[in-house]
Amino acid sequence: MAQRKVNVPEAGQWPDKLAVPALAAGAALTTAGFLMAFLFAAPVNGAALDAPELVGGVMVSHQQLLSQKIFYFHMPVAIVSFIALAFGAYYGVRFLTTREQRFDTCSRVAMEIALLFVVFTMITGDLWTRFEWGVWWTWEPRLTTYLILMLIVIAYFVMRNAVDDPERRATYASVISVIALVDVPICFMITRLIPSSVHPVITREGGMAPDMAATVVVIMLGMMLVGYGLYRLRFREARLAERVQALKEQMED
Amino acid sequence: MNPILTDIYSTVIPSAPFIIAAYAIVWVVLLVYVVMVVRGLKKTEAQMALLEEAIAKKSRD
Repeated sequence: MAQRKVNVPEAGQWPDKLAVPALAAGAALTTAGFLMAFLFAAPVNGAALDAPELVGGVMVSHQQLLSQKIFYFHMPVAIVSFIALAFGAYYGVRFLTTREQRFDTCSRVAMEIALLFVVFTMITGDLWTRFEWGVWWTWEPRLTTYLILMLIVIAYFVMRNAVDDPERRATYASVISVIALVDVPICFMITRLIPSSVHPVITREGGMAPDMAATVVVIMLGMMLVGYGLYRLRFREARLAERVQALKEQMED
Repeated sequence: MNPILTDIYSTVIPSAPFIIAAYAIVWVVLLVYVVMVVRGLKKTEAQMALLEEAIAKKSRD
């Protein structure tokens, strides 16, 4: 095993300075996207009407589905959860190859951000499911694979709290982070692999109109910036805590 | 109200609580998480400052 050059963990690297601007930009973009979702993106059509009706100068021939507006937050948070899981696994692999504690911290923080966004995805999705399908839960392939993903991420933190030895804990955690990433493409592709799946698929529904796509892009960028800002902020806190601990031990010696 | 207009907007009002809840939960949880992390960060930074001071004092003695 390679000898560590420094015993006291480093903290406060330059990317930490990006945390607050990234969070502010993310908040601004998601707010702009939220407004676009309700004021700019056209409502999605539901069931056909018996007869068309002129509303505000536009001929309306279908019910207007307001519940679809949940999609503008639901899809971006799901994508950010996948990105965070990819980073969690990447740093997990970096830890397994280098045994540097810094990578374990990176992986842990990325998994924490992933859990946050996984929970957001589940909540927003469930609220839509409750209204549109009339149930809080159904064993539909996308929901089931995403539930498995959430359980793997929860298991990651349960395991971290259960193992005392830092080296073993980091090794097991890295392996679980990779297992979680394996579920990501399954989750993503399941609606294509099982065509009977009732979960809406954009490509199957005829793609997105330009106003919808623009709104999704704005919120997606905003959520990515929020995710990155949170990651840097939390990483700084975690590294500083490790540094404090190391300095305390150094003083005791 | 015109029955066709009633039909057009029949899902709008019933779905509103679910939409409001979805957006509000995301915003509130994000806000709470940011507040928790910032508070933790400030606490750790304060501990760090105290420790650095103690180490400097120890090295002077």
